[in-house]
Amino acid sequence: MARIVPGTHRGALDPVKLSQPLGAVLAFLGLDRAMPLLHGSQGCSAFAKALLTRHFREPIPLQTSAVTEVTAVLGTGENLLAAIDTVAERTGAQIIGVATTGLVEASGEDLHGLLSARGARAGAGGPLVVAVATPDFEAGLSRGWAKAVEAIVAAGLHLAATGGTGGTGGTGIVDGIGTGSVRRTGPARGRDHLLPVLAGVSLTATDLDEIAALVRAFGLDPLLVPDLSGSLDGHLDDGWSPLTTGGTPRALLPALGTAAAAHAVGVTTASAADTLAGAGTAVTRHDHLSGLAAVDGLVDALRRHTGAEVPADVRRARARFTDTLLDAHFVLDGARIAVAGEPELLAAVTTLAASAGARTVAAVTPTPDPVLGTLPCEEVVLGDLTDLQDRAAEAGAELVIGNGHTRATALAVDAAHLPLGLPVADRLGVALATLAGYGGGRRFLTELANRLLDHRDRTPHRDRTSHRADDRDHAHRTTTAPHPTEESLC
Amino acid sequence: MTTGTTGTTDGTVAGTGAPATGPPPGARATGIPGATTAGAVGQVLAGGPGTGRAALFDEPSCDHNRGKDAAAKRAGCPTPTPGSAAGGCSFDGGMITLLPIADAAHVVHGPIACAGNSWEGRGTASGDRQLFRHGFTSDLDGSDVVLGGEQKLYDTVLAVVRRYDPAAVFVHSTCVTAMIGDDLDAVCAAAAAATGRPVVPVHAPGVVGSKNLGNRLAGTALLDHVIGTREPAVTTPYDVNLVGEYNIAGELWDVIPVLHRAGIRVSATVTGDSRFADIAAAHRARATMVVCSRALLPLARGLHERYGIPWFEGSFYGVRSMGDSLRGFARLLGGVVAERVEQVIAEEEERTARALAPLRDRLAGRRALLYTGGVKSWSLVAALQDIGVEVVASGATKSTEDDVDRIEELLGPAGRVIRNGSPAELLRIVAETGADVLIAGGRNQYTALKARLPFLDVNQERHVPLAGYAGTVELARRLDAALTNPVWEQVRAPAPWDAAAPAPIRAAS
Repeated sequence: MARIVPGTHRGALDPVKLSQPLGAVLAFLGLDRAMPLLHGSQGCSAFAKALLTRHFREPIPLQTSAVTEVTAVLGTGENLLAAIDTVAERTGAQIIGVATTGLVEASGEDLHGLLSARGARAGAGGPLVVAVATPDFEAGLSRGWAKAVEAIVAAGLHLAATGGTGGTGGTGIVDGIGTGSVRRTGPARGRDHLLPVLAGVSLTATDLDEIAALVRAFGLDPLLVPDLSGSLDGHLDDGWSPLTTGGTPRALLPALGTAAAAHAVGVTTASAADTLAGAGTAVTRHDHLSGLAAVDGLVDALRRHTGAEVPADVRRARARFTDTLLDAHFVLDGARIAVAGEPELLAAVTTLAASAGARTVAAVTPTPDPVLGTLPCEEVVLGDLTDLQDRAAEAGAELVIGNGHTRATALAVDAAHLPLGLPVADRLGVALATLAGYGGGRRFLTELANRLLDHRDRTPHRDRTSHRADDRDHAHRTTTAPHPTEESLC
Repeated sequence: MTTGTTGTTDGTVAGTGAPATGPPPGARATGIPGATTAGAVGQVLAGGPGTGRAALFDEPSCDHNRGKDAAAKRAGCPTPTPGSAAGGCSFDGGMITLLPIADAAHVVHGPIACAGNSWEGRGTASGDRQLFRHGFTSDLDGSDVVLGGEQKLYDTVLAVVRRYDPAAVFVHSTCVTAMIGDDLDAVCAAAAAATGRPVVPVHAPGVVGSKNLGNRLAGTALLDHVIGTREPAVTTPYDVNLVGEYNIAGELWDVIPVLHRAGIRVSATVTGDSRFADIAAAHRARATMVVCSRALLPLARGLHERYGIPWFEGSFYGVRSMGDSLRGFARLLGGVVAERVEQVIAEEEERTARALAPLRDRLAGRRALLYTGGVKSWSLVAALQDIGVEVVASGATKSTEDDVDRIEELLGPAGRVIRNGSPAELLRIVAETGADVLIAGGRNQYTALKARLPFLDVNQERHVPLAGYAGTVELARRLDAALTNPVWEQVRAPAPWDAAAPAPIRAAS
């Protein structure tokens, strides 16, 4: 049980926080043949695009309504409508995901009214427009993701309720700004084998692969919403496309309206899960799917849902994970870890680390979330990377986990570094780091242990006395567990 | 932020009026000493008398601008098309220009997106201090937008000074803080008084326009608040300023030794690997070279008008450009430099030719499509031609008419000038011209890779130094490597099961 404390600064010195619109854009990128559209100055999308491009090492579809100083004063509505029309016309997008920015929210634009008016005007055959209000000066990445997923779910329910096929015949506008809850009109029906899985912001493409494989193992077909494993998994297609080249297909969104059961993975799916549950679907919620207990929870729920025995390959994956717990605990027992990231990622990381005996001695997150109180560490700071650095140094952290910016933190406190989260521009493959499922847990704990071993090997004078918190100079050289090095194994 | 405030000579920057003695009391209406209520919005968004658009978009040293009539000047730059626009904003431009000052801190006054999405994203390099690797922001929240974010900004500036002890602080306004009318000048004046060091307001919120305009506004901030506020410890008759050089991937360090051998001393760079004090003393230089940046012409012109420093435009990309630039300095400085310069050029060119010879053979017949902006859209054409690569097309979407003239002159009748730089268009031109490689900015890296086309990054996020004689050799080496890497053959070949079925074996008849 962690206590939540504020950081040192009123502003941010080396922020951990990322913006709310960025979270929404990321969620929209998990839809197939989609174009996210930021309603703001063109710099808003240029920066977001550059960040995501460097992180994923992929082309990032993202457009802008290109608000200028003149339209910012006189009204930005026409910019947005023109941008939607242009994107629809030039790219043939199936879905356009609109996220607003601080600039237009500060001037108080009526996005809901604007889009409703357009919806009335637009005929059938156009793209599905899903819109969310995401001023940069409120909340952060997690909330932006949550709002977008909620709006996507609302769009699916709306399409189901209005009989929209969700294909090219589906029309109009669904926005998450002014909509109330959508109730299912008819009895639940549809494809029983389809199991919607709402995905949280911390799940990578390979995390989703792990989850999808577990669902498939029980004979079900996962409908991931959104699905970054289809769009941003780093695959080479037959050419360049202006739109996403995979993700949740628009045609399957109405299936959300007919699903009897669903799973919601990650705290950033909470509001979307509420929306789905409000329409009558039984939603099973998971704060994360990292660590034995959490994954067992999903597998057990699938077993009960289908009435099937747990398949042999799932049992095997679990057996590999439990074996890894044993192998890794020699290294990880008592290891001091500092971590910065979104609340959902912190939950996964601290749970896995703690499950093998490691201690999270410093945890920093940008925005509050109820899950933070449940983390297996003493304290979580709502702060910036200076908070992380000061606490990591104080506690003698051996390993810093966080996005690319935290490499400097690790260097400053002479700790090992494990890049995780968004953005990581200077290392490959972090967009495919895996923490979910039995396989994800196994790979992550192995990685954690190896980073620590590499670091300890590089440290010249190994000293095996137990760590004293007040002795900063020696903090990084100490350990409380024997190392399974050649000497100790012989 | 075009006129109205000037740097004071005691090294403290006062926004307007007398420096304040205490922290600003939060609400902007309560009156910080000397504060103007109009603030950034008054100046940037509305354009007050004498400070407005007309002055901002008048640039007598630019041929392109001189050719415009009054109405065209008032209209400013072309506005981007909603739904089909790319490129950064003025805030981005302002940061690009000022961020490389290695001992200065940059505080972004705005909501999280502006700093959060951009910090530590530049390829600039410096020797000792690296304050530009940090991201500092007032991180406005909803209540700040309603009540004003001035106190939070002030607190953030003080926290940054306490923790990092920068030589100076630049405070960048953003769309939201310009819209709500926070008085940046007053907060900077108060923070300068409290910290005893320059705190410089930069009024380049994203919404005012393009990246180029931001470069220009940042140049204005330097001219108005920084340059001329310190005296150099040492001066020589051969001190020069480099304007618009950002030391990407440390490439300036390949150029400075060459300049040295010609007797030229770089006293200030705006702003690659620079220190605040050097820029503050830039008014004592004897010549200015504007490197690859028309947007900073007003800074060079200001240095000329205010301090009588002559200037010229040049580039460090390619053998020809290096020769031209060295001769440009010789022309303005005379003396020892004029005596030495031809010998230095001859020696360097000979050495470069030797290093390039084997690469030239390997690159012969290779065709490149170049898509970059501004001066680089022609100076890199020359650099590529210097190493024997045929440039089939060059982008001009971010170039001036003058740049385009030079592109056309270099490319000859067969070359194309690209006016629409969308990825689809670039790939179409590649297909039509049979280009072997796309040379562009990081934004187009994946356009090329997804089309299985070799790529070389030449913009500010790159990690390869390309300037000077050494950079020209590096350019050739990198191009050769990009073109001949074994990955291309593998990714272009279809999987065995997708390959066209082999022709059936016919029985000999």
